[in-house]
Amino acid sequence: MKSTSFLLLMFLGWSAIAQEVVVSKPTGTKASLDLSGFTGTGPAPGVFRQTLEADLLRSGWFTLTRQAAYVVRGSCGGGASLAVECQVTDVVKSSLVLSKSYTDTPANAQRLAHKTADDIIMAVKGFRGICSGRIVMVGNRTGNKELYVCDSDGGNLRQLTSDRSISLSPQWTPSGAQIVYTSYRRGYPDAYLIDLASGARSCLANYSGMNMAGGVSPNGSEVLLVLSRDGNPEVYIKPLAATGLTRLTHTPRAGEASPAWSPDGSKIVYVSDLAGAGSPQLYIMDRAGSSRRLTSRGRENVSPDWGPNGWIAYSSKRGGLYGVYIINPTTQEDRAVSPSDTHYEEPAWASDGRHIVCTRREGRGSRIYLLDTMGDPPVCLTPNGGDWFSPAWCSK
Amino acid sequence: MTMRSFVSTLLVCAMAVSMTGCKSWFSKKGSKTTGTGLPENDTIGGLSTEGGSLADRKDFATGNSVMAGQFEAVRFAFDSAQVDESERAKTEAISEYLKSNASTLVTLEGHCDERGSAEYNVSLGERRALAVRSYLMNLGIDGARIQTKSFGSERPKDPGHDESAWSVNRRVEFVLIKQ
Repeated sequence: MKSTSFLLLMFLGWSAIAQEVVVSKPTGTKASLDLSGFTGTGPAPGVFRQTLEADLLRSGWFTLTRQAAYVVRGSCGGGASLAVECQVTDVVKSSLVLSKSYTDTPANAQRLAHKTADDIIMAVKGFRGICSGRIVMVGNRTGNKELYVCDSDGGNLRQLTSDRSISLSPQWTPSGAQIVYTSYRRGYPDAYLIDLASGARSCLANYSGMNMAGGVSPNGSEVLLVLSRDGNPEVYIKPLAATGLTRLTHTPRAGEASPAWSPDGSKIVYVSDLAGAGSPQLYIMDRAGSSRRLTSRGRENVSPDWGPNGWIAYSSKRGGLYGVYIINPTTQEDRAVSPSDTHYEEPAWASDGRHIVCTRREGRGSRIYLLDTMGDPPVCLTPNGGDWFSPAWCSK
Repeated sequence: MTMRSFVSTLLVCAMAVSMTGCKSWFSKKGSKTTGTGLPENDTIGGLSTEGGSLADRKDFATGNSVMAGQFEAVRFAFDSAQVDESERAKTEAISEYLKSNASTLVTLEGHCDERGSAEYNVSLGERRALAVRSYLMNLGIDGARIQTKSFGSERPKDPGHDESAWSVNRRVEFVLIKQ
């Protein structure tokens, strides 16, 4: 599906889509899928089958039913290696839209199921799903805030850092090979880059004062930072593979935070309290630092993330409650995408431009949820034990 | 200059004077504005915390004795980086101490209450520390003796979740480093 028709879908509003009961054709909403003909027994095939079904449901594009427009047949089995056969038939056209076989180790059953789910989504809907994506987030279950990485469904959770200090604001590089973040591991808030394959860490900025890591540019060459080295928190651009620093903001009476790039890398959305110390708002600037205020509603508008669909997700405090909202920076159209039962904060777009990961306040705790801008209910992705914060999405 | 922006500038100057009570500082920096490409009436914002570039951290690593907590923390109003009149005596006390202990350095640790975004709170905490730094510099303390460190909302002093805890947690603490 083209991004334009997807935007059109978003304009249609989620209520109409969510209320639709039976959809027999893949016209952009849910398609019916019969998964009952796909078999898998034994430990690893069982995990594969369960993960595949959960992925397809969570994707928001399918209802699973026996009398369906699409039928999935195949099997998952094997001993030392996991062998998967998968065929998807379009019943109406009576044509095969997917026929693929996969092999992997049993330990990779979940990752293989994510890949298969994305192949089914591509075959039926025509665009990339989010099942193969990964999330980096902050967790405190060791007693310190460390970075963790998990799959799109919260599975394969692993602890990435053991800094035993405070880790904040993780962001992926576009390749998914590295993560930038802020750590107090040397006592001060400094910005670092971690290479996931080698585990090597390099320091991006450790100037006097604060060094907060922001977003990495879409071409992977530059990182945004918030530094106070010149006497006040300001936004800077730094090349990842070279030295040099370009200052973008000059606001001696205000503080900036959370800078993030537009999908084409030409603009930056960020938080500033220029309009009043108690009222952080979103601003958009170009690379020359020329800026305009974006948000007007809500006393606090923070944590922006500019999605692949052009919409900016952010958290806004309205009526005493933080909620996740999305705003179109061109039309200023603005709407809530989280329920109003508790606080939802720190949104980050998933790569499909439909889903958003965010934090949900639960009592004193905080967990990571997957929100659907088209109306499916929020899904919790993090386990019990500890609190979870600041999720960021990677498509790979 | 439009009437509105003139009033804004007056307002900012008035706030600057009330914050420091220091005329020489006002004449030097009070009317300073820096271009951001924003309309001028959008920039009334908070107070300038600018006291110039920060001191090198290296000097602070050589200290052989660190003392925390012997001076009372400066407290702040919600979402504010302004040193209130009621808190100035605390800053003046540390200024007097630094004047009579010329080799002592100070790290100003800025903190926020738990509400709001973690990232914005690091900036807000840094601005609180920078506001105290600016105040100390106007009392005659060399900026090279001052380091700022913001913990945002990560290190509350009071673990509670009500206004009485929050008001304790919005603070700048003084950590002294004896050379």
